[in-house]
Order: sequence, then C-alpha cells, then structure tokens
Amino acid sequence: MTFYIIRRLLLLPLTLLGISILVFLMIGLLSPYQRLATFINSPERLKGADIDKLVEFYGLNDPLPLQYGRWLKNIFQGNLGWSYVGKEPVYDALVERFPYTLELALFSIFPILFLGINLGVISAVNHNRPLDHGLRIFSVVGWSFPDFVFGLFILMIFYSVLGWFPPGNLSLWAEEVVKSSAFRSFTGMTTIDALLNGRLDIFWDAFLHLIGPVLTLTYVQFAFILRITRSSMLEVLQKDYVRTARAKGLDERVVINKHARRNALIPVATVSGQTIIGLLAGAVIVETIFNRTGIGSFMSLAAQQLDYASIMGGTLFFGLILVLGNLIVDISYAFIDPRVRLE
Amino acid sequence: MKRYGVFLLAILVLVGGVVFAEVKNPDTYIYLSISEPDTLDPHYAYDTASGEAIGMVYDNLIAYKGESVTEFVPRLSLEVPSLENGLIKDDGKTYVFPLREGVKFHNGNDLTPEDVEYTLERGILTDPYAGPMWMIIEALFDYQTIEDMVEDKLQVAWSDMVNEDGTLKSEEYASKLADFYNQYIDPAIEVEGQNVVFHLVRPFAPFLSILSQNASWSAIMDKETCVSLGLWDGEPDGWWKYHGLKKEESPIYEQAIGTGPFQLVEWDRTQQKLTLTRNDNYWGEQPKIAKAIIWGIDEWSTRRAMLEAGDADQIYTPLQYLEQVKGIPGVKIEEGARITITALHFNWTVEKGSKYLGSGQLDGEGIPPDFFSDVHIRRAFSYAFDYDTFIEQVLQGYGFRVPSVIPKGLLGFSENLPMYDFDLEKAKEEFQQAWNGEVWEKGFKLTLLYNTGNEARQTACEMLKEHIESLNPKFKIEVQGVQWPTYLDAYRQGQLPAFIIGWLADYPDPHNFVFTYFHSKGVYGTTQGQAFLDFARENLDSLVEEAIAETDNEARQKIYEEIQTIAYENALGITFYQPREIYPMRDWVKGWMFNPMRSGEVNWEGVYKEE
Repeated sequence: MTFYIIRRLLLLPLTLLGISILVFLMIGLLSPYQRLATFINSPERLKGADIDKLVEFYGLNDPLPLQYGRWLKNIFQGNLGWSYVGKEPVYDALVERFPYTLELALFSIFPILFLGINLGVISAVNHNRPLDHGLRIFSVVGWSFPDFVFGLFILMIFYSVLGWFPPGNLSLWAEEVVKSSAFRSFTGMTTIDALLNGRLDIFWDAFLHLIGPVLTLTYVQFAFILRITRSSMLEVLQKDYVRTARAKGLDERVVINKHARRNALIPVATVSGQTIIGLLAGAVIVETIFNRTGIGSFMSLAAQQLDYASIMGGTLFFGLILVLGNLIVDISYAFIDPRVRLE
Repeated sequence: MKRYGVFLLAILVLVGGVVFAEVKNPDTYIYLSISEPDTLDPHYAYDTASGEAIGMVYDNLIAYKGESVTEFVPRLSLEVPSLENGLIKDDGKTYVFPLREGVKFHNGNDLTPEDVEYTLERGILTDPYAGPMWMIIEALFDYQTIEDMVEDKLQVAWSDMVNEDGTLKSEEYASKLADFYNQYIDPAIEVEGQNVVFHLVRPFAPFLSILSQNASWSAIMDKETCVSLGLWDGEPDGWWKYHGLKKEESPIYEQAIGTGPFQLVEWDRTQQKLTLTRNDNYWGEQPKIAKAIIWGIDEWSTRRAMLEAGDADQIYTPLQYLEQVKGIPGVKIEEGARITITALHFNWTVEKGSKYLGSGQLDGEGIPPDFFSDVHIRRAFSYAFDYDTFIEQVLQGYGFRVPSVIPKGLLGFSENLPMYDFDLEKAKEEFQQAWNGEVWEKGFKLTLLYNTGNEARQTACEMLKEHIESLNPKFKIEVQGVQWPTYLDAYRQGQLPAFIIGWLADYPDPHNFVFTYFHSKGVYGTTQGQAFLDFARENLDSLVEEAIAETDNEARQKIYEEIQTIAYENALGITFYQPREIYPMRDWVKGWMFNPMRSGEVNWEGVYKEE
C-alpha cells in the first residue's frame, strides 16, 4: 500500500502539468482583446485606454508557448503571478481564502453525512411506509432546491426577520479583535483559532456567521447521501446473510446497525468523498449570498474576468485537492472493506 | 388588572421604541458597494472605488464647493486662483497656488510646495497605461501621453529608446531623456517661496476641475515618503525607469499616506473591505464619524438585507432594484444626477470579418460595411427610438433627455438645441431616402450587440429593433447579448455596426465629452470607423480644439452649441438618456450631501448618524 501511495503521489506533478497545459490552451484560444477584459473589466474602463498598447504591455499577443513558458518559469520560482481579481498575488489570494472554504466544509460535512446516512437508513428500514415517503419528499425537495433560492430564504428568515445569523465572516467588534496583534492566527479558520486563543465569544460569533451557509449547504446536499444510503441499504437488506441474521433471532437493531449498515456504507464512502472534495472546491453561490470570502466566489470571479493567473493558480490548487482527495478515498476503501487491496 | 395592562403596554412601547431608535455602530459609517479599489496609487487609480478611498486619505489643492461643480473652495491651497485675485495670469496660462502652512501628513511629515511639485511630476512621468494622467498632460502640455510627448520632442520612438525592463537601448538617450525632463516637465510646475506655479502651454479652461478634490490624479503626496518607498527619486536622470510599470509594481499600490481627513487602517482584499479612521490631527474640520468602512458585497440581496437590518448605513443600489428598497422601515432614498450619458454611436466603416453584418451586402440579408455612413440611415435610427417611453418605463422616470453628448449641468448644454423625437413617420421617410431608396426596397439585416448584465442597454436595443422592424417587413435587426470579453473584442476590432456606451465625466467640462465622442482622437471617436474619422477631421476637430483654448465662457458656449448642431444635422449618435441615481440609506444618516463629481456616494467628511 505504501508503494501504491508513493506511486500516486509521484504522478501528481505530471497530472498538474497536464491540467495546466489544458487550461492554458483553453484560455489561449481566446483573442488577445478578449483576454484584455481582465484589465479592462467594464466599458467604463475604456477611458484613456490605448488598447493595442495594453495588449502588447501585458504580452497577450505573444505566441502561446512563450506565454506558457513564462508562466511555468514563474511557477518554478514559486511565483503564481498576480491576481487581478484578488488584487494581490495569486498565492496570497488562495491562502487567505481557502481557510474560509475549509471551515465551511468542516462544519457542513458532519451534518450532511450524519443526516444523510441516518435518515437514509431509517428510510430504508421503513421502506414504503409513510415515514419513508416523508423523508424522500423532504430530501427530493432539498436536492431540487436551487441553492441560491434556499440560501436567500435562509438569509431572509434568520437574518432579516429573526436577526440571528448575519452574513459575512464575523461581526465588526470580533473582526477588530481577530485582526489585533493579541489574537494569534494558527489555521486561518476563525472558529478554531478562537478556541486556540481561548476566546469563546469570538468562537460563538464566528459560529453564528457559519450557521446560515451550513444550513443551506446541508439541506441541498444531504439528500444525495440519503438516497445513496437508502438504495444501498435496501439492497443489503435483501441479502441472504441479513435473512440469516434475522433467522437466528438477532435483535433487529443489531441486524441493521452492525450487519446491514456497515456493508451498505461502501458506495456511500465513494459519494461522500466526492461531496467533501466538492465542498473544498468552494460553494460559489452560498459564499456569495452569505458573503463568505471563500475560494469558490473568488474562482468564479476569476473565470468571469478571464484572469488567467488566478484561473491557473486556482486550477492547480483544485487539481491538488482532487488528486489527494481521491487518493484518500481510495485508501479509505481498504479500511472499510478488507476485500479491497491497493497495489 | 387593567392598570397592569396599561403599565405593560407602556413598557412594551418603551422597550420597542428604544430598540427601534437605537443607532447601530453610532461612530462608524458603513457603506456597501460592489467593488473595491483597483489600486491606492493616485496616479494609477482611474475608477470610482479607488478615487473614493484616495479622496478620503489625500487632500487636493482645491475642492468643489458643496453641491456645485463650478465653484471651488480652497483646500491645501489658501486661495482658489482666479483672474480677479491675480492668481491666474498670462491670459490663463499661469496658475499660482499659495500653499497652506502647518499641514502635516499622517506620518508627521510637513507639507511643502516641493511635495506638490514632486507629486504631479511623478504622475506625469509615470503616466501608466490606461491611467488618468492624460488629463494633466493634456492640460499642461497638450499631449495625450508622456510617450507621445517624448516622441514628438525628441523625434525618436519610445520603444526605440527604452527596453521593456526600463533600461536604455543606447546610453546616448540618457542625456536626451534627462534633458527632456529639464526642458519641458520641470519648468511646467515650479516652486516660488510658498507658492506652487503651473505653466500651461495654452489656456485650458477645465484646469481647476482637473486639480480639484475627488480627482485622485492630483491628490498631493509626500515626497520624502514616496522616495523612501521606492517611487521616482525626483532626479532627471533615470526617470524613465519609473515609467510603464504595472499597477501592482507600484510601491504604494496598497498604501496611502496623505494629509486628508481619514487615515487608511486596512485594505482587506479577501473581504473587499476598506477600513479608515478619522485623522485626529487633521488641519481642517474634523469628520464627524470616527470610522469609515467601504465594503464590496457583490450580491444585491445581501446588501439589501444588511441595510434592512441596520448593519449597513448606505448601499449601492442600481435603479432596477428601486421597488425593493422602497418602503423598508427606517430607510430613506436620496437622489442625484451624475454627469454622465448613455448613447449609441454608429460605426461608419465596419472592419472586415465582422459577423454582425449578415451577408455584408445590401441584399436584404445584410448590410454593407459603410451602411451607417449614410446620414439618412442614422437619422432614421434616431427617429425610431422611443425616448420618453424608455425613460418613463425602463428608467422609471429616473433620467432625462439631453440633445447631444453634453450632459445637463455643464457649459454648452442648452434646452433650445434641436433633438430627434420619436417619430416613425419621419423614420420611414429617412429610410426611403437612404442609399437611393435601395434600403427601403431590399431591406437589411444587422446585429446589435450589448454586453450582458446591463438590462437598460438590452431593453434599449430591443425597443429600437421593434420599432424599426415595424416599419418594413424586410428590416431585420437581431439583438444579441454577449459577455464583456467578446464585446470588447468586437468593439476593438471595429466590427460592431453600432455600440452603446456611457461616459462619466472625468472633470465637469464639455470638452471631456465632446473630445471623447467627436474628436478624431477621442476614445470613442476612434471607434466609429474611417469614414467618421474623415468627417470629424474636416468638420469637428478644429471646433473642439478651438473651444478648449477659448477662455471666454460665452464664446465657448457658442462653439459647443455649434458642435451639437452639427451632431444633430448629421445624426452622429443617439443619446438615450442622462440618468438619475438612487441612494438608499438609513434614516439615521444625517449631513449627507451629493456632489455630482464625487467618487462614490458618501460625503465622508460630513455624514454622521443620529436618530
């Protein structure tokens, strides 16, 4: 297994190189004037702009291999370039924004998995009974709710009407504390840093700001896990060994929780892995509505403005997450299912 | 029992009243916008978000008086130069600014006349591409860029002298370029005692506007700080190394040390949030608020929710959301009109390869590239736009008509100038005369593009399409929305048959609009096709140049009216409207005032919060 992991890790740089070439080619297909939209990002910016000079100035007219070579050379020097969308170096932009995405993912993944798996099992056990129907309707509604609708709904109820969960990362007072020199940043994730600094009030404030996005993400995402769990569970419950277990008079709870559920979780693990990776890539809409400054909204802006340094940097980063994430999922199979061998 | 009820009710009302009346964050003013600054370097900044921040941190020599755009008050200068007080001399070619004494920068340095000289010279020499410095360069030297000026004076192309990395191609140019500075740039701005003196090559009427507060390009910086941070060192030798840098390479990209009423605390680019505090050592009147926050929140619903909750005091609101802010308890809506217009102009000679001309011939399935060079076509289009309905329904009344490209409020504007009204009969007549009747007989087909996300422009295109198509079944206009990069590409390549674009005043003078749209070197002039350029060189350029060198306002008015009459007769463009804007804010906002030239929507020095 060690060999397997090492081999996969060795392939990582090659994968990233391939991704970068592909993305660069896609951007390169656009005309220099189209790509100038990064620098002249609205009609108002045409003021005083000598467009042809700008194209030349930013090297947009150079042959593609030359442009790619320039980018690659910088990468090897540890320079991801300048993000015109983030208004700071791409590296800084990614590093500053990722903790917000990671934090949201961490807080969302538990309710998503917990609700998805447990309700899925309950649904399967109560197959075709009213509870099953109810849960299925509840989950289908969540699954088909566009997140921008549900997010706005949550924002309206819990912020505008009740005033409980404000948008943003932190309240003004809390932000002042976090930015002061007395507050040490360890992870960039405010909730965790607050705990490490022993500031429960900050933790609570950050937590309140997280609830809205977490609720939204949970509701629109748990349904998928629920459906996978339910169908997998239904299949397992038909299996001979479950019948045997019941036949020998085992308690129904033991049959379900120990014999059936563990076996039903293998497909769920695959899907969960994808869900986690998806969450780490950022939730564009939810971040935008709740004004959380994660990596998703940043990348969506970069793509809209064809900010190639940001796009390339972000793509490398996502590639890294994807490859590592999939590796972890593969490894986890071996633990869930002893029959799986990694070679 | 009853008495208790009354008592309880009284408490409820009291508590409710107190809760309702509570001003959130009383010392902090929070404005939610949709963007963050592009840069904090005053000489690179050319967008309103940057201009707003720079205007808070830096002082200019003079400022607009209250809501006026024509009257000034002194700021760092002790007096506003005028012919009467003798500080404008030589028939308007020399301006003298007596500098205020005892003013300190945020880092404690003293303001000196040398700072003023250095600041503007640094701007002129830096002259970043797509930056605002052309205004100062045009005013002082009558050139558009420093490179143009160098090339003209030295008769060598810039790129033949200076490499991309700032080194010289040949050492001989070092002395030439240094001489250029000594001979032209240095004498233009001089220090005489406590005075700063500007020498213009010819009178330039809007000069004071270009220097006035809110013009970030003439904000005054501290020489000592700038030099120590690595900006131009003030020496003639080697100035070219500081020219043509990218905006992120400026050492003051994210720093701002001025003399202004606010100090920059932080520019948090992750959150798109600027935090500023009051400068307690400010030489002038102290701002009433202690802390200012400008926060870019792109999502409208989020901005609105924060205003409703009182977590924001004022929010940027496009007109299309008017109905959504009306009637929020505790929120009032102020209004104002900026000096801006939105207009459609034609491309008289569309470049080859355009996908928007149909067949490219006048055969009913397309238009020839020079379709719009026929004045009848342009007139027909001008008659076919339903101006009043557009303003009433699309803009909900928040806008008004102007005759040509000079907005209301500026010199040269006149209600008495002729305008095209919506008149389908006349449009029909014009179409029948166009192209010797061929257009009417054969019909045409073309594509009008707009960049997506702008609903008003989309509707304008669709209205135009509908009315023109109603005239003749052979007329076909396709309205197509494209992403901004595609639009920019087609626009730049001269492939759009017509384009709708707005212009926001850099300074409140008609020259800024007339030059832009009608001069053959103007930003939008150059994109109206070769036939238009020929027309402009023959009929418009000399008038535009004459008007700006004229110092007598009545004479200027006459020339601008003449230009607009030419524009009318030749149907040079369709000015859709000059918009009015809405500024929703909490009721507790006091002291708010609007100046059309202000960058942003808040008069930070004057606002405060009080129930």
